[in-house]
Amino acid sequence: MLVKDVMRSPVLTVEPGMTLEEAYRFLLEKGIRHLPVVAEGKLVGILTDRDLRLAMSHLNPGGPLPGSTPVAAAMTRKVVTAHPLDPVEEAARVMREGKIGCLPVLEDGRLVGMVTGIDLLDALLRLTGVTEPSGRLEVRLPDRVGELARLTGFLAGRGVNIHSLLSYPEDGGFVRAVVRVNTLETHLLAEGLRQEGFEVIWPPRKPW
Amino acid sequence: MVIYRDEYRLYDFGPGHPFSPVRLEMLTSLLQALGVWRQPLEPPEATREEVLTVHSQRLVKRVEAASRGERVPDLEYYGLGTGDTPVFPGMDRAARILVGGTLEGARRILAGEKRVLQLGGGLHHAQYDRASGFCVYNDLSVAIRYLTQAGLRVAYLDIDVHHGDGVQWIHYEEKGVLTLSLHETGRYLFPGTGHVHEIGRGEGVGRKLNLPLEPFTEDESYLEVFEALVPWALEAFRPDVLLVQSGADAHYQDPLADLLLTTRAYEAILRLILEYAQAYTGGRVLFTLGGGYSLDATVRVWALLYLVFHGLPLPERLPEGWLKEWQARLEKPLTPTLHDPQAPRAPYPEIPRKEEIARRNRLTLERLMELVRPHLVH
Repeated sequence: MLVKDVMRSPVLTVEPGMTLEEAYRFLLEKGIRHLPVVAEGKLVGILTDRDLRLAMSHLNPGGPLPGSTPVAAAMTRKVVTAHPLDPVEEAARVMREGKIGCLPVLEDGRLVGMVTGIDLLDALLRLTGVTEPSGRLEVRLPDRVGELARLTGFLAGRGVNIHSLLSYPEDGGFVRAVVRVNTLETHLLAEGLRQEGFEVIWPPRKPW
Repeated sequence: MVIYRDEYRLYDFGPGHPFSPVRLEMLTSLLQALGVWRQPLEPPEATREEVLTVHSQRLVKRVEAASRGERVPDLEYYGLGTGDTPVFPGMDRAARILVGGTLEGARRILAGEKRVLQLGGGLHHAQYDRASGFCVYNDLSVAIRYLTQAGLRVAYLDIDVHHGDGVQWIHYEEKGVLTLSLHETGRYLFPGTGHVHEIGRGEGVGRKLNLPLEPFTEDESYLEVFEALVPWALEAFRPDVLLVQSGADAHYQDPLADLLLTTRAYEAILRLILEYAQAYTGGRVLFTLGGGYSLDATVRVWALLYLVFHGLPLPERLPEGWLKEWQARLEKPLTPTLHDPQAPRAPYPEIPRKEEIARRNRLTLERLMELVRPHLVH
């Protein structure tokens, strides 16, 4: 999954000369929190709703700015950006490490999209979500060569289609695999997997 | 009025498949052995046009071709020819016969009949454009469409352990159809949908209700949320008729799912449904069957349905001859009583998380009611 798959476009932008008051109305009206500031086709800064409110507040170290102040006076000039072909996980890492809420996406210096924390939550929902009628299998695999292949090979052998597969490392040298399969009969699959020596977490074996 | 014909058993995915016609054979022979079986009304099979009131041409054409044994390259895209829903000769007609039964039930209701029991159907996973989860054509939706086109408001109650996704999606934007599904949460069970936030779209908003329950939910917790939700929703929606998908797979013996209902909960649920029909739909109620994959449990639950439906007394033991015959045929012991065994012979071990499960179900119910109240109550 790449940044271009989750970013929003076209992008709503403002010019550096717009006043803070106009910019705040614009944010409210559009229901957004981040405003890229663009001059002559170039990204020159970014203004968040938090920047705006602080700038106009008594808590502003330099005192409150009047609403007629141009945006350029309150915006952040050094903007961290992403490229459309960056992997989503890289964008997420940059945002997490910098504790920033959005990344303008630039291609050849042109602003082509925006990625926010909300878009990353959407990506998570897509990765973990249910898009096809399917049952769930959860298996703990030893973290070594061929284990996942053994699991998917078993499912293929049973004629079962995998709609999605999510896996993540677990303490103790294991990988947890959550597999969505196109069958109601996950209990039957679980039994077969146990007989092949797999540790199946879901569905559980019923003792009755 | 009971609707049934022996050809329902043509809907057969082959030996070893859980959606087995043996269930109907066992059920009807048990009702005969109990001396309560009366000649049912034999419904006509549904026509192609009737099926097309809720399904796409594309799907129906493929079901027909596959039924004739023709090779269809893109079958899997339509949910057919999979492990769950394999094709078999005559599948189209077999599925239309089941649809015909449920549709006949709807016709009888419209003609003034109050209570109808269709001893088959309940294929709630079939969607507009695809077969899914043992379900080829959606008999429930065909009946619902027939009733709404006649101007009736329909409440659909689904107590199958799986989410009634096909019915929900087909009527997702319809104002005149309330769908209400109680099921094991899609976080763990097929088809994976049926979350509280699926509440309908457009005119249908607030008229599609889902109560996803925790795995290992037991009788008390199920009945608690059922009694809080169902009459509340029916009272707010004011339906003309209630359609019930009576899957028996929420039973603790079911091999495909993880809820822990006993036959005692089923008896209570069925009696409550009849009471609710009396209170909110002028007594008009149409039951179908549904899922249920433990032969032993499913047949007893549906026998209960038949007996409670007719207001007949419940026998304690099942007829010896019937037990003997079926135990020999299935080569395994059957529960000799209509109800599940009770303490001290507890049917399953105590669930340590019982209280937590009940609390989470209560919380889910609250969330659901909060979400739909603004749309449903007015």
